[in-house]
Amino acid sequence: MIRLENVALRYGRGPEILRDVNFHLRPGSLHFLTGPSGSGKTSLLRLLFMSIQPTRGLIHLFGQNVTRITPSRRADLRRRIGIVFQDFRLLDHLTTWENVALPLRVTGKKPGEYQEDVTDLLQWVGLGERMYALSPVLSGGEKQRAAIARAVIGKPELLLADEPTGNVDPQMARRLLRLFIELNRLGTSVIIATHDHQLMQQFQAPRLELHDGRIHQVG
Amino acid sequence: MTYDTNMPAPGGKELYAPKRPKERKWSNQPTPIVQAKSVTGSSLVVVISIMCFLACLTAGAVYLINQSAAAWTDDIASEVTVQVGIDSKGNIDDKLSKVAFFLTNQSGVNGVRPLPAEESSVLLEPWLGDGATLKDLPIPRLIAVELDRANPPNMTALRETLNSNFENTSLDDHRRWQSQIQTVTRSMALGGLAVLILVGFATTAIIVSATRSAMSSNREIVEVLHFVGATDRFIAREFERHFLSLGIRSGLVGASGALLIFVFMPFFMRLLGGSNMTSAEIRRLLGSAALDLPGFILLGIVVVVIAALCMLTTRYGVYRILNSQHH
Repeated sequence: MIRLENVALRYGRGPEILRDVNFHLRPGSLHFLTGPSGSGKTSLLRLLFMSIQPTRGLIHLFGQNVTRITPSRRADLRRRIGIVFQDFRLLDHLTTWENVALPLRVTGKKPGEYQEDVTDLLQWVGLGERMYALSPVLSGGEKQRAAIARAVIGKPELLLADEPTGNVDPQMARRLLRLFIELNRLGTSVIIATHDHQLMQQFQAPRLELHDGRIHQVG
Repeated sequence: MTYDTNMPAPGGKELYAPKRPKERKWSNQPTPIVQAKSVTGSSLVVVISIMCFLACLTAGAVYLINQSAAAWTDDIASEVTVQVGIDSKGNIDDKLSKVAFFLTNQSGVNGVRPLPAEESSVLLEPWLGDGATLKDLPIPRLIAVELDRANPPNMTALRETLNSNFENTSLDDHRRWQSQIQTVTRSMALGGLAVLILVGFATTAIIVSATRSAMSSNREIVEVLHFVGATDRFIAREFERHFLSLGIRSGLVGASGALLIFVFMPFFMRLLGGSNMTSAEIRRLLGSAALDLPGFILLGIVVVVIAALCMLTTRYGVYRILNSQHH
């Protein structure tokens, strides 16, 4: 599913954020990606999401080398990946419902084909009453739930989540994690970047720990 | 996948925001991902409308001139003039009748019309002035000969026969005029084409600049679209639909403006101090100055071309920008 070989990353002429990163994740796995702030968790997720290129090394996703990939192929692969950004990246002029439906809309499906799925998911993440609210009027926690719903609505094969529980209360955090675990049970590989140790203790899963730009697998 | 909706939903109803009418979510026209106001401002609409106005005006004027020139050429080509000069015998009216009779019997001639002496005098008035003196001058007389266009006579043979039978006569088939009219018409058509090409280039440049600006102001939206798996084609379509609409709207406004000009041109000329003579001169150049059905179709084609230009320029502009971002 995911294989990184000697991956390194630096921004411009700055220091290497990641160096000699090697790991291999099997399909259907669930991992926490952890490390102190600034250790490169978000950068690693961005590499996996193909929004940046490594300075050196190879990245294989779904059996394909994605270090050199055409834009159309990248779009195809991204449809198989769901991502939750730390800063949500919701579109302000769209309603919660429309934001969540966006990954399905870009595939060319008609609203009637997915309206039930989107509505069910929004109910499930507790945004049933906020479906028609525009994103700027949502609270931080609501935006986070909307961002998660958008990431999972397309039933991705790989889910990348950057601090997905950072803005929600513990009860909601557990609930969202249960959503990730349920997705994982259904076959989705999940990587959750977090430094919430309490959360990691509640759900036992192998960890990828980043320190000084290098990665260590624990568990 | 199914979601366990029996689980209690956190959060409450207190925060909210008015619901949209229910039918909105089933609508086939969801909120545009790229908003029109962020892409095509009113100043852009005005500029493209002006471009379309200029293009329609040019195309319409060239069309009218071509029509008018075609009508002239048609008239001239279906008629020749025989000039009958005074000979040694001196009786011009008699000679005129004989030449007319001779011409009537030639194959390929549909009819002849000898011009009365007064008409010949009127034609010479601009050069010789009005007055009784004209009657005393040996003014040649003219015969208008209408030709059968389906079966025209051999002009060289006709000219030779005429000259051998009648002293001091000549046949003018107006070729020199036809050639001059064609030269003027072609020059005007080329000038019009040059203006149209310039308008096309200017429109393309404006749209390229507007596309860059639109992509820049919607950078975050484009990023999100990429993240959710949108292809470049999808993103380009989100932008080009606004530019197509802009092209159609501006095109219709510009074409309507040009139409008004064509309809009210005589009125405008009078408003600007032109006399009836000015209108007559314009009529001479542009014929009736009224567009017929093919003329309207031509303006419609200009609108379609402008709209297509806006759409395609945006499409390739977006592709170029996205490609430069990918590399």
